[in-house]
Amino acid sequence: MELIFGGAYQGKLDYVKDNYEYSRICDCSDGREPDFDADVIYGIEGFVMECAKAGREAKDFFKDRETLLGDKLLVMTDTSQGVVPIDKNVRAFREMNGRLMLYLAEKAEHVTRVFCGIGKRLK
Amino acid sequence: MNVLISGGCKNGKSYYAQKLARDMAQQQGKPLYYIATMIPRDEEDRARIRRHLAERDGWGFETLEQPVHLTALLEDPSVDRSGVFLLDSVTAIMENEMFQRVETEGASLKGNAGTTIVFDETAPSRVAAEMETFAKATGNTVFVSDGIYGDMGEYSRSTEDYRKALAGADRTLAKACDRVIEITYGMEEIWK
Repeated sequence: MELIFGGAYQGKLDYVKDNYEYSRICDCSDGREPDFDADVIYGIEGFVMECAKAGREAKDFFKDRETLLGDKLLVMTDTSQGVVPIDKNVRAFREMNGRLMLYLAEKAEHVTRVFCGIGKRLK
Repeated sequence: MNVLISGGCKNGKSYYAQKLARDMAQQQGKPLYYIATMIPRDEEDRARIRRHLAERDGWGFETLEQPVHLTALLEDPSVDRSGVFLLDSVTAIMENEMFQRVETEGASLKGNAGTTIVFDETAPSRVAAEMETFAKATGNTVFVSDGIYGDMGEYSRSTEDYRKALAGADRTLAKACDRVIEITYGMEEIWK
């Protein structure tokens, strides 16, 4: 499994399209649950947002499906910087997103950060 | 060599960029230009500009005021386009072009005469294209932008449009530039 992350609008999906072979992308930015039949799971932060609303720990969702991660490409937006959000729900989401990224980065064989459309392997 | 420099606020991007541009000009024996992009709106802005001018004093920069329409400099016969240019910042030009301030004479909805901000939705792609044209035409420009993408992004629609537009310009420039450098507290991370 490889984790590909970066800030908003950095071209993460274009980076994946240009640099990896894949057959299907599951876009979770609308909040849907990841479909592990796809080889690219994109917009994971959208799913995390839904989890936060439902009070369900996103990290546990992935942990329970650890055997499905295989050689997936997991793409998500880093929201860890800036000021702590005032809104309680947004704050809960941001922390949940961080916990998930930390878990995935540890599990991942490779971790790549995308900046201005350029990828750099951190692990 | 075209270079894109980005990173967080007050991380030393401008200082790093000034040194880089000066070294490039000295090594190549070329004129050194500073493209000033700020439109001063009040005394705080004017004080900031005076501070920036003082900081650049003695570095050998000739200042060119170009807060909008960057490629107009390419048409200016007094500007040597083979020189070295420091554009600080992409952020300011994008703001100036996207949110144009129009002075209103009569009373506005808020009940006072003043400034109305007009949003130009054609600006994002136009600015990105002008940046790319400028990089290709000069071949020796240091662009300074700002990394504003790692937080929660709970902003108004217009601010979110702005973040998206600036990121688009950055990505266009990253392709057009020979080097892309992220500055974190004075330290460099070479992306390209």
